Amino acid sequence: MAEPVLEMRHVFKRFDMTQALDDVSLDIYPGEIHALVGENGAGKSTLIKIITGIYRPDLGELRLDDQPVTVNNSQEAQALGIAAIYQEPMIFPDLNVAENIFISHQDRGPVVRWGKMYRDAEDILSKLDVHLDVRMSARGLTLAAQQAVEIAKAISLNVRVLIMDEPTASLSAHEVTQLFQLVRSLRSQGVAILFIGHRLEEVLSIADRVTVLRDGKKISSRLREEVTPEQVIRDMVGRDVEDFFWKADTERGELLLSVRDLGRQNVFHDINFDVYRGEVLGFAGLIGSRRTDVGLALFGIEPADSGEIILEGTRRRIHSPGEALRLGIAYATEDRRQLGLNMTMSMVANVTLPTLTSYLNPLGLIRRRAEISTAEEFRERLSIRTPSVQADVERLSGGNQQKVMLSKWLNAGPKLLILDEPTRGIDVGAKAEVHEMISDLAARGLGVILISSDLPEVLAMSDRILVMREGRQMGIFEHTDATEERVMTAAMGQYAAEQEVGA
Amino acid sequence: MPANTNILQSIWERMKSWEGFLVAILIVVFLLNSVIAPNYLSIGNQINLFVLSIEKIIVALTMAFLIINGEIDLSAPSIMGLAACVAAYFFNRGMGFGTALLISMSVGLITGLFNGFWVAIVGLNSLVVTLAMLISYRGMARIFLEDRSIGNFPDWFNQLGQKSLVGPFPLSLIIFFGLLVLAVIILQYTGFGRRTFAIGNNKDAARYSGVKVARVKLLLFIASGLVSALAGLLLAARLGAVRGDLAYGYELEIVTMVLLGGVSIFGGSGSLYGVFLSILIILNIKNGMSLANFSGHFQTGVIGLLLILSVLLPNLVSDFQEAMQRRRRKREARRELPGTAAVAKSDASGDS
Amino acid sequence: MKFLIRRFQPEQIRELFLAVLIVLVVVFFSSQIPGYFNARFVNRISTSVVVVAILAVGQTLVFLTRNFDLSTGSIVGFTAYFLGQQLWHHPAIPPWAAVLIAIGVGTFMGSINGLLVAYGRVPSVIVTIATLAIYRSFLVEYSDAVPITTNNLPDWIVNLPPLSLFSVGDVEFRVIFGIMVLVVIVFQLILNYLPFGRRLYAIGSNPDAAQVAGFPAQRMVFTAFLLSGALAGLAGFIFLARFGNISVLAGIGLEFASIAAVVVGGVSNMGGSGTVFGAFLGALLIDLLENSLFRWQAISEFWRDAILGMLILLAVAIDFVVIGRLRKVWARAELEMSVEEAQEESEVAAHAG
Repeated sequence: MAEPVLEMRHVFKRFDMTQALDDVSLDIYPGEIHALVGENGAGKSTLIKIITGIYRPDLGELRLDDQPVTVNNSQEAQALGIAAIYQEPMIFPDLNVAENIFISHQDRGPVVRWGKMYRDAEDILSKLDVHLDVRMSARGLTLAAQQAVEIAKAISLNVRVLIMDEPTASLSAHEVTQLFQLVRSLRSQGVAILFIGHRLEEVLSIADRVTVLRDGKKISSRLREEVTPEQVIRDMVGRDVEDFFWKADTERGELLLSVRDLGRQNVFHDINFDVYRGEVLGFAGLIGSRRTDVGLALFGIEPADSGEIILEGTRRRIHSPGEALRLGIAYATEDRRQLGLNMTMSMVANVTLPTLTSYLNPLGLIRRRAEISTAEEFRERLSIRTPSVQADVERLSGGNQQKVMLSKWLNAGPKLLILDEPTRGIDVGAKAEVHEMISDLAARGLGVILISSDLPEVLAMSDRILVMREGRQMGIFEHTDATEERVMTAAMGQYAAEQEVGA
Repeated sequence: MPANTNILQSIWERMKSWEGFLVAILIVVFLLNSVIAPNYLSIGNQINLFVLSIEKIIVALTMAFLIINGEIDLSAPSIMGLAACVAAYFFNRGMGFGTALLISMSVGLITGLFNGFWVAIVGLNSLVVTLAMLISYRGMARIFLEDRSIGNFPDWFNQLGQKSLVGPFPLSLIIFFGLLVLAVIILQYTGFGRRTFAIGNNKDAARYSGVKVARVKLLLFIASGLVSALAGLLLAARLGAVRGDLAYGYELEIVTMVLLGGVSIFGGSGSLYGVFLSILIILNIKNGMSLANFSGHFQTGVIGLLLILSVLLPNLVSDFQEAMQRRRRKREARRELPGTAAVAKSDASGDS
Repeated sequence: MKFLIRRFQPEQIRELFLAVLIVLVVVFFSSQIPGYFNARFVNRISTSVVVVAILAVGQTLVFLTRNFDLSTGSIVGFTAYFLGQQLWHHPAIPPWAAVLIAIGVGTFMGSINGLLVAYGRVPSVIVTIATLAIYRSFLVEYSDAVPITTNNLPDWIVNLPPLSLFSVGDVEFRVIFGIMVLVVIVFQLILNYLPFGRRLYAIGSNPDAAQVAGFPAQRMVFTAFLLSGALAGLAGFIFLARFGNISVLAGIGLEFASIAAVVVGGVSNMGGSGTVFGAFLGALLIDLLENSLFRWQAISEFWRDAILGMLILLAVAIDFVVIGRLRKVWARAELEMSVEEAQEESEVAAHAG
């Protein structure tokens, strides 16, 4: 066994009240894909930031090739051969592909030689078997292509330790396969790869070694062959995980929403479905299937330009969120931080924002006490853990932030609630609470549209499942007919059919 | 927590410390000024100060709203000039003074609408738009007045600022305090005010929460235009005459009044109490400098310095706090872990 | 078509469009004003465009990093006065030293801007609105209200503006125009061929990525302001040469003219795109319009600022709406093309294999 290229020894890091890293030691070997897993808040991103020089450890040390090193900033990290690729690629849209690859280089000479740069860029890309025109501007690149460019950049800098932080979160299945091919080729070139991911099956399919963090401590670090998924989950969660979500049977009520031939040019088309009171309609599909866009059309953020929306028997045109709310439609976005909440405002302010007019007295002034009591109600009802309803929601954990966002929409008293990835990025315990809440809502007579990329979740929570692929509707499954295989096949559409033929 | 504290709890806490800081500065300024001119501290003197700068401080109110909303209106002083010039122009042409005033208020409305259109509806950057219009409206004022100056307004107009109306307070001051109270109520206690904050805090999240972002922005720019027009007229009343370069260069002071008051240039936070305190500070500092015989240009330079400091200091302070925290955490981490004394020692030798 | 899409970006098409517009303007005014387009006119334009064009080059550097420099007018005024003062009392100063003095003072003032923006993290609008006032007050205090007049200045500088390097017929290639051309060429080269220049684009294109990209972004923003100040100093030298009489009002409004030039010239206020050459074209177009409107007599000089402001607004609005849409079309086309090519390649490989 080779020597580790990078070691962390007894690293401690604290932020205010939280011990983010508690005596963590880690070895990263060259030519190995080392997976780092853990729930949100387990310490993964802190660990990465220490390796890349954004943070410095309170205690402990880093060693490169068995020599102690300190990494004080990104330039030093680069010089040491450490590179990181994050979920949001750090790409310069106004520069072309070749420039993006070489922009950080300090050693290409005092003058930019364009011809040479293009040739060198093409070299690197062909070594990675990536096909991109190096002269094209980076603006037009897909997310997957941007990641490929970032990997090319790392290679060009002779990266020795490549950190990949949730690179697959927004990729389609096909793109993930391509990415993994790239990663494996990097491994064969002797690069050490630290891979952080949330989708366990994916992570385990590529890892050579698996380290689990929980609450800032390293729980286990084992070779992939020696480990089972259940063991990993148990290490991550600290307890055995039972089947924790199944939607209770609810009575289906009257027809609430009918959507006919709904479409928006170049985005989605010919969408047809019904939603009844008391039922959960799941929207399944891969990333890029445009399910969110259907939700945005129903909520008036990006209105459809063809087709009909019929709400409780009446045809409606929804052109703004305000209109949607008035009609009883609410939409909880998948991007909690940027779109779902005002982070530096209090829980109270966030929860009452959509329905502010109902908190005004005859003079038009805000009734503070009413606001606060609403917030307290939700705090209790959804078990939201916060120091105070007046505290900035920024300080809450992901799961609690999600609950605040849900409170906001529940408070609007909707008839139809559209949830877009409601359990993404929150820990297992909070996830279960959210599922219970969804079940409860249906029982109370709401109609729920559940958009989720978590197939087990969709299968367990939905009465019926609508599958979309690239803006097209592939079919609607009843709960009883829906299996993971069938839904996946529908979600992958033609691609799957081709595979079968070829095989 | 008592139910009647400011809903934006953490902002309030931040404000408390910034406002305390402002009060301290104000006290220092008063002391300094009293040294320069004994008997400095009198109500009459303060009233006078306010009256002499009434037009700036009125516009500072709407500017505060806009900056909290994440926008800015650099064209406000030019609107002041344009509105005053238009009124003077039509008055000079024989139109009734009342009508002329009405026309100039509509100038405020139209310019506000124009600004708001490009920012709220088309979606352009308000900095660039109002910078362009700062030039343009100023130019339009010169189209009307060219190089001349127009005066000879009716007496009642000229007295607006000077004559005491209620007790020692002239009309213009009453207008200011009325607007101030109105502004405080709207900003802190109404839905509109809450939405203003929310949009400045995170425009997209506000939109996704059903807030009519474009409408709020449009209204704010219209308000800014109207208030600027009003301020322009008050300035004309005070000066007794109007020139094409009326209110030239006021944007520096007005923006300083708002930012020094603790309103963040990035939007989403701030309070009018701070703005009021910073108005007091700026007016008194300028007065002190005048008494000490510093030129107007020098005073403007000092205001510029204040502007920079009002943003620079919070940055430096938070940097300092972070550095202190880091050091404290290192100490705590070492103390709490006796078993790692050996590691700590080797760490201390290599660590900075 | 593919070749076009690959080689040119929407921004470059815009510059072409600008050049065409300039020609159209000349044609239009030639038809309206007798004796409009002659050698004398060309000479006049080539002289009057210099100060704003040089400022526009500096402003471009700052804009690229997503910042603004509103203090350049005051820097021009101060350096012009300061240099005039020095030449008055020490007329023996050689020309090259005079230029260096002006540039040096401007650099110093620009460095203060740079320090506050890059290291103090104060937004550039705030800093430069403030330094606009602070530097102006420097000028007032320093000058003590005593203006510089041409009588006080040595002959060589008063005679500089009409001095020409060579002539083609009656059209003169003047020295100060030559200085401007040099500046434009040098900085266009810097922005295209020096890593420093390319990274300025990167900083404006994605400031977050620039922080972690492994080059010293902060230092580079500081340098951009430094250079903007230096160029403003150079412009101050030329300002002194052109006008000779410098009062405390010297240079007021020049920063707006430079911003207008830059914006009309296609440099985005969101950073990351635009060229020095485009800024020059913008300065030229505006100067052309101003001079032509002045001669046209149909519009009085008092309309100048009103039109200037609207022009800036128009340019920004068009950029926002048109260029934004054009970029999306371009990006989609580029993507389709590269996908097509990838497919072709894999088909070729499949047939071969």
